[in-house]
Amino acid sequence: MLTCKEVSYLASKKLDKKLSLGERLGLILHTAMCGMCRHYVRDIEVLHQLMLKAGKKGQALLPDSAKLSAQSRERIKQALDKALHANDKTN
Amino acid sequence: MVYELSSPEQWLQTHGDVLYRFGLARVREPEVAEDLVQETLLAALKAQQNYSGKASERTWLIGILKHKMIDYFRKQTRQNTQEFDDELLNNDAEYFDQTGHWQIDFSSWSKPDKSVEQEQFLQVLEQCISRLPARMAQLFMLREFEDMSSDEICQLMSISSMNNFWVMLSRVRGQLRHCLDLNWNNA
Repeated sequence: MLTCKEVSYLASKKLDKKLSLGERLGLILHTAMCGMCRHYVRDIEVLHQLMLKAGKKGQALLPDSAKLSAQSRERIKQALDKALHANDKTN
Repeated sequence: MVYELSSPEQWLQTHGDVLYRFGLARVREPEVAEDLVQETLLAALKAQQNYSGKASERTWLIGILKHKMIDYFRKQTRQNTQEFDDELLNNDAEYFDQTGHWQIDFSSWSKPDKSVEQEQFLQVLEQCISRLPARMAQLFMLREFEDMSSDEICQLMSISSMNNFWVMLSRVRGQLRHCLDLNWNNA
């Protein structure tokens, strides 16, 4: 009989790769008897699906309040100006 | 429809924060995300003659950012990551007792069905991800958000074996599930 720890590993691996017959049977047997692991398996599947969906939709995930700091914005601006200026010279 | 580029002086103003958020969500380190914005805009400057107009300016810039991000992951050498990975893999998850049984109690969350609930769920999840070590968060984002294959991630992030990759991914999913358990049900 698999332990809960082994089941948590297989439940995660199952989201990335087809499990072997033995692994699948072990998972089914264990979750048939263990409510906690049933919850766990279901939860990480929900997590997986919602993240994939958000990623496909191109959702930002980070709030709009996450912005470049004034300092880094200035630094980037200067780097760009310098590069633009260099382009002028070569043209 | 054929898109046209605006003048490069405007790129930072128009797209800077969007590019920053895109990078930060995936690399999880503010300084790195800032550098990525700079590298992206500089590369865009050089590449603007090749712009075909098939994608919008923003999509084009994000495409360049993705390449810069891949370069960043490649540059993290095995020496830098080995220690973190070894420690993580050697330390057993705190959620199990010696016999491999759960030593925390939990129930299942209610699955967020409505789009408003899903928005809230993602907000809580984002907070949970931001508390992870950067490397774990990067791994999770590449796998779940970017839908990059396991093989690609292993190679890109110099993870020494597929088995280690699955252990790390399993660990990060467990941590996030736990964090959501504490913060989402009550949200």
